[in-house]
Amino acid sequence: MFDFLKKKISNVVSSVTKMVTKEDKSKPKKEKKETEVKEKKTTVKEVAERIFKKVTERQITEDDVNNIFNQVEMNLLEADVAVSVIDKFKEDLKNNLLGKDTKRTQVKEVIENSFRNSLLEILTTPEIDLEKIIQKKRSEDKPTLFIFLGFNGSGKTTSLAKFAKWLIDKKYSVVFAAGDSFRAASIEQLEEHANKLRVKVIKHQYGADPAAVVFDAVKHAESHNINVVLADTAGRTHVNKNLMDQLEKVCRVNKSDLKILVLDSLTGNDIINQCEMYDKAVGVDALILTKVDVVERGGSILSAAYVLKKPILFLGIGQEYENFEKYNPDKIAENLL
Amino acid sequence: MLNFGKGITDLIKKVLTRSSIDREAIEEIVKGLQRILLQADVDVKLVYDLSNTIRKRCIQEKISTGLTIREHVMKVVYEEITNLLGKEKTELLGKKRIMMVGLFGSGKTTTTAKLAKFFQKQGLKPAMIACDYHRPAAPQQLQQLGDKLHVPVHINDDRNPYNAVKEGLGKFEKYDVVIVDTAGRNALDNELAEELKELYKIFQPSETLLVIPADLGRTVGKQAEEFHKLVGITGVIVTKTDGTAKGGGALSSCSITKAKVKFIGTGEKIEDLESYDPVRFVSRLLGMGDLQALIEKVKDAEFKEEDAEKLLSGKFTLKDFYDQLVGMEKMGPLSGVMEMIPGLGHNVPENLMQLQETKMKKFKYIIDSMTHEEKENPEIIHASRIKRIAKGSGTSDKDVRDLLKQFEQSKKLIKKIGGMGGLKRGQLAKLAKKFGLKI
Repeated sequence: MFDFLKKKISNVVSSVTKMVTKEDKSKPKKEKKETEVKEKKTTVKEVAERIFKKVTERQITEDDVNNIFNQVEMNLLEADVAVSVIDKFKEDLKNNLLGKDTKRTQVKEVIENSFRNSLLEILTTPEIDLEKIIQKKRSEDKPTLFIFLGFNGSGKTTSLAKFAKWLIDKKYSVVFAAGDSFRAASIEQLEEHANKLRVKVIKHQYGADPAAVVFDAVKHAESHNINVVLADTAGRTHVNKNLMDQLEKVCRVNKSDLKILVLDSLTGNDIINQCEMYDKAVGVDALILTKVDVVERGGSILSAAYVLKKPILFLGIGQEYENFEKYNPDKIAENLL
Repeated sequence: MLNFGKGITDLIKKVLTRSSIDREAIEEIVKGLQRILLQADVDVKLVYDLSNTIRKRCIQEKISTGLTIREHVMKVVYEEITNLLGKEKTELLGKKRIMMVGLFGSGKTTTTAKLAKFFQKQGLKPAMIACDYHRPAAPQQLQQLGDKLHVPVHINDDRNPYNAVKEGLGKFEKYDVVIVDTAGRNALDNELAEELKELYKIFQPSETLLVIPADLGRTVGKQAEEFHKLVGITGVIVTKTDGTAKGGGALSSCSITKAKVKFIGTGEKIEDLESYDPVRFVSRLLGMGDLQALIEKVKDAEFKEEDAEKLLSGKFTLKDFYDQLVGMEKMGPLSGVMEMIPGLGHNVPENLMQLQETKMKKFKYIIDSMTHEEKENPEIIHASRIKRIAKGSGTSDKDVRDLLKQFEQSKKLIKKIGGMGGLKRGQLAKLAKKFGLKI
């Protein structure tokens, strides 16, 4: 997990350190910067030597900072971190370095700290107590409704099943609403999970109104004293207004407690669009990131966390029901630095 | 796709409005291009290679006579990007065994069915074999899609993928194209790797197609490389291009495997699969408009010769107007159609598009509520008829009047450009020529 992003971050730290500690005799040459990406590996050693040699103080100017931004940008872009997130890293770095007297020996530390703080700030999202929500609804004799949304193939149904397992382990009763009435065999897919987990599925025909399916599932939960309704929906692209309107209706009519956006963590820069447009169209309350076990770059997690600043509930980390991990920002940040 | 194209076009426009093109301007283009490509998830090394070549060519090459400097830069960028994405138009025809591979959630099963439909349209007899017994209900999904298309699907009752292929091959001996849908998983997963290799040995496909979603990040390069090692990728299908995704990651992986893009998935309907054509694809990517696709789609929407003649003669009734509306609908969402018209692509506001689409639907209902006579001779429609039509179609008097107004305008417009012949000689053709497209 995150190996690639980790490598990139340490790359940035070392090359930025190099730039800052380097004597700037003249304006840096533009051509040089292009090739630096390739040269990096051979010169890092030299940098270390230079740092040891010259232990004096040096004030970092805005010019220096601008020069190192190119490095930051390229390395993080490579790790699938979105541009708006990179801007945040750059801004923080600038504030931490600019106009301050930094001992050469401490440059690396300052830069590392700047990155660690930016990372933690980005990764720390508001927290939600899922059980509290369920218990509050239970005290009102009502079921809790969680609706799963997302782009095609992001892993909504699988995440929903994993979420159900998590709830069942905590002794809550669960019912599924087969709200994806569009894709072929989506209902059967949900039913297979339901059979394994011994959960009932409330379904209509293919082509049925998903809002009605979810409505029936909530009614079923009410009359059978079931704690939680997990509603699946059809995957859709965030630019299709009609489909987004339909989704908005599903959530509005049924008064969902949480609208959970399921995101594929392998997504590139487009994850920003997916987050923003889903949030604008239906309003997103929380996130689940899937396929994190395959991720080596992980920039998408930073992007999603930063753009929406919404609670991240779980990370999907494998094919089994148990491969579902509570999101822990400290752990990810530690992994990266 | 939208943003990618917009980016490059805007960039070149911005730089080229400067009075002279010098080294610095070219440097600015190259820098901007790098950023755009990186944001589009294109592999980093490829971006550098590409930008270096563009810089070199822009500076060194002599500008061919007849080209402005601006056109020259456009040409270089265009050519180099075509180089990156693959230059040749690829065709998949004739008898074939196709194996589909890819990550989970990339759209393999849906694309398998779309491909079957594609071959069906070519007059071939396709069949499908379900080999994904990992994801719940994957075989059922293929079965349901097959039923819709009347394409046979073989499923092994014991959920054994190897036997599924063996039995399927026997069963479908007389079929032209046999497509195998495999389980989607991480290519670095050993279990899947073994399964894929074994399936490949049994099936011996003539094509192994890698399915890649357009929104996938740079992880795709590594995955593509692994799949390539396992089963030898011969082609790539890029899915989910109907979102905002830029597709750069998918395309850069083509360059890693040296496989080319064969198809593009453009929507959730079963017919939303386009055969890849680099000229078409790149011109859309760069926001240069996509005439060829537009014209092919018009053809697909079964534009009758008779209609064309009527248009030429300027005799244009509400019935023709109705056929046009239906034809437009068949072409997919209006925004997609608009995107393909050069110069119009990125400038139409989203809400206007939605408005047009609802309006088009209303117009259809209104015409449905008219008598035959009214459709042929719209001039007889006056106040009382308008009232009746509005009531019958569940619209308002104003809607009916709007329709009649729009119809009159269309009629005038068609007379003005002298039907389709005029269109061909007109500006669109000129523009098309510029980018080497044929109409």
